[in-house]
Amino acid sequence: MNEQLKKIFARLSRQEKAQVDEEIRRAYDYDPRDPLFGLSKEELGGPKLSRRGFLRLLAASGGSLSLSHVLGAAGIVLPQAARVAAQAGGHLICGWAGTAEITTLDPAQINQVLQFQVSSNVLSGLTHINADLVAEGDLATDWTVSDDGLVWTFTLREGVTWHNGDPFTAADVLYTYNRSRDPQQSIHSGNLVNVVDLTALDDMTVQLTLGKPQASLLVKTLERSSGRAMTIVNQNAIESMGLQDYGLKPVGTGPFRVTEHQLGQGVVLERFDDYYDPARPVLDKITIIPIPENEPLAAAIETGDIHLIGGNGVAAELVDRFLANPDMVVDEIPGNGFQSMFVNPWREPMVVEDFNLSVDELKQQNGFKVRLALAKAFDRERFIQRGLFGRGVPAFGTINPAMGYYFDTAINESSEQRFDLEAARALLAEAGYPEGEGFPTLKLLTTPGGRRQGEVIVDMYRNNLNISIELDVKDFTVLIEDANRMEYDLLRLGSGGDFDPDDGLVDWMLSGSRFNGPNRNDADLVAARGELPFGFFAADRVDELINQQAVTADPEARKALVQEANQLTSDKLASIFLFHGTEILVHRAEVTFPAESRIVGLRDLDRVSIS
Amino acid sequence: MRYFVARVIQALIVVWAVGTLVFFMLRAVPGDPIQALLADVDPTAAEAIRAKLGLDQPVWVQYLFWMRNTLAGDLGQSLYGSHQEVSQQIAEAIPRTVSLALVAFLISFTLGLTAGIVSAVKKDSVLDYSFNLAAFLGISMPSFWIGIVLIIVFAVNLRWLPAIGYKPISAGIDQWLRYLILPGLSVGLPFSASIARLTRSAMLEVLGQDYITVARAKGMNEKRVIFRHALRNALIPVVTVMGISLALLFSGSVVVENVFAIKGLGRVLIQSILNRDYPVVQGSILLVAVLLVFMNLAVDMLYRLIDPRISYD
Repeated sequence: MNEQLKKIFARLSRQEKAQVDEEIRRAYDYDPRDPLFGLSKEELGGPKLSRRGFLRLLAASGGSLSLSHVLGAAGIVLPQAARVAAQAGGHLICGWAGTAEITTLDPAQINQVLQFQVSSNVLSGLTHINADLVAEGDLATDWTVSDDGLVWTFTLREGVTWHNGDPFTAADVLYTYNRSRDPQQSIHSGNLVNVVDLTALDDMTVQLTLGKPQASLLVKTLERSSGRAMTIVNQNAIESMGLQDYGLKPVGTGPFRVTEHQLGQGVVLERFDDYYDPARPVLDKITIIPIPENEPLAAAIETGDIHLIGGNGVAAELVDRFLANPDMVVDEIPGNGFQSMFVNPWREPMVVEDFNLSVDELKQQNGFKVRLALAKAFDRERFIQRGLFGRGVPAFGTINPAMGYYFDTAINESSEQRFDLEAARALLAEAGYPEGEGFPTLKLLTTPGGRRQGEVIVDMYRNNLNISIELDVKDFTVLIEDANRMEYDLLRLGSGGDFDPDDGLVDWMLSGSRFNGPNRNDADLVAARGELPFGFFAADRVDELINQQAVTADPEARKALVQEANQLTSDKLASIFLFHGTEILVHRAEVTFPAESRIVGLRDLDRVSIS
Repeated sequence: MRYFVARVIQALIVVWAVGTLVFFMLRAVPGDPIQALLADVDPTAAEAIRAKLGLDQPVWVQYLFWMRNTLAGDLGQSLYGSHQEVSQQIAEAIPRTVSLALVAFLISFTLGLTAGIVSAVKKDSVLDYSFNLAAFLGISMPSFWIGIVLIIVFAVNLRWLPAIGYKPISAGIDQWLRYLILPGLSVGLPFSASIARLTRSAMLEVLGQDYITVARAKGMNEKRVIFRHALRNALIPVVTVMGISLALLFSGSVVVENVFAIKGLGRVLIQSILNRDYPVVQGSILLVAVLLVFMNLAVDMLYRLIDPRISYD
């Protein structure tokens, strides 16, 4: 337990202390293998998962319980004095790493994590994920679900004011819904396809109807930061300011309001005095400066020109330097995403035309043998050391450790892809390339930023399988076009900002997913190579599992489906899964970043203070 | 005067040709802005966005629209994010780039000319060798590396100056200058090195001329010989290089802008090229073309002031 939490605990009343003790005692009072046994529908409902459900999920996820978790889950409101212990006021200056500008803060246009890291401090949603990736009410205070899981009724928070003084009502939710559904106005219209209707029952109640049940509704679709489709926006402000200005200085209901924004030079946020929680925010002012280069970023935080790093994350090579500096705090947690090397099944010698065959049947085919040899010859531990300076964990599927409850390291042992050099060499020989002899040179498509990791991959295959791979480095705009058209041998690509299993499975592993070669049958390509029935991967059973998990609201049942899909995509080599990154928060020692704000991928600054 | 008018017309044709070339080349290079924009999101929105931005039209129709709008002074909007006006992006970037260019220019001009003159006058002295070595290093070291070294020395170790950022002149001239000294040095030092080399060789050539010997023979003050007779004649090639340098500085020093996190013209241009943000690339290249062409014109006009023998009629 850290010092600050101890202080807070000391200030609690005797009754509250007893409640906390009881919660900790009860948290382990069940079989962790069956985390949701006996929980009712009410306990899974709002305003967040019941504390029983929450604590069980948490413990089952392997997360260690701390006082801060229990305080959050038990809903104890801290006495004002405890909050004031954290120094109020102050000006926090942040550097947003690896970016030249924060192009937009309008949720309808946001397409980068580094953008919603900022907007999450300014705008609100009906729900917001907490540090354990459980959805909590934000502008919604409570909700109920119909028995069939299709009709959700949300009670909205009373007395919420917009930064421009407008009162927040159901009309704002309705406006946001209609705006986000329109592909002319929002790039996230696809995320609302399953939300077939949204009605305002009265000023403070909205009812939402789904086409089919959806497990990720609360943590994805309605979420204020990564969700984006239902991050609530202000109609008056959009109409009076125009889209360009709103994109720079959106009017929200969040803890901070944007007072200045010059593209490329920075964003200034100031405390919003009428925020619905009077205890937040703690800071008076935040300045966010985009800093594209590593070395100046490091210099800026070492000199104290900036206090905290956000944006595209800290380059792995800087982390040890920060760890050695007593003025700096480095906090590393599992990241939320996966990184892969996709192997084109339509190019020799890796051809596989039907992934519906069983793994044993697939293993009879030379194309699959080559794919498997590539997967098994990939030494993830070594790659993580050499390519990432040790900052990552091996990946065998899209489900990542940040997803806690849904993640299981058992796959590291059970996957067909696990590292086995002898087996890999034998497979390559069986496929007709003993010791790599006669194996064609393959091209690995990657971005300029991926060059270093690419070199490590090239080197590893040269040493392990005696085959040669050439890097094909292209700007992202070109790379994504080639990827969508299936114009590559090997492709280095992956995903970040995945909070829910849907992010990896639905977006990548489904046969009709948005990344699975959507433009493979463009007219000029069909003329050259005929029609391709699928992109990099398609298996009926996997589709079935993914579609089923997406509509399964019961976490336990969903977990089983997710794990089976994850295992199949791994065993059948939907891609060679390489690693899950880690998320590293770096700030100066004078900044206090409380555990409850430590949400993977985000930089929620409402509870942060500076001395 | 007739010469001047002809040159301006020529310049305008060059600018038009550059704009047109860039327009078609951009569309010929691979890379689709809409696919990049939507990589993380919904592909069904792609067609709607393409139509909204007019990117579904044939290229020549897009070109005619672009020509019409450009002539009307409308450079269009960014394809990305909040779709900011190109003219606004450029207008915001210009003060930063001009500030950086001015400081860098002053540094390179002062250091370069001084070192060049001293080297020429004290040829083969220790001073000359030192300046030559420094100039050699200055030319060889890339500006981003100089920038990083300056940050480590003056920001991290000595804590004299800020490591990154930019403050507009409205924040006070001292603040403005504080933030510009390190980036100004990073850009200015390599330039000063080439100016020093050029000044030295031009001066040496002039100092070997008969009229210099005559001036000295008749007992003229050495200062007067150097500054009045030698330097003025040696300046012609130096001014040409400085004119082009200034134009290059105005079009932005991309690398240094990135190092010091200053969003000037260079960064606008590179960022937009990487994103295939067509309107922004076209707008900023057009501006750079105008700058280069007219800066060249200005230099040609300046020759007459320095050397009255040059005549354009």
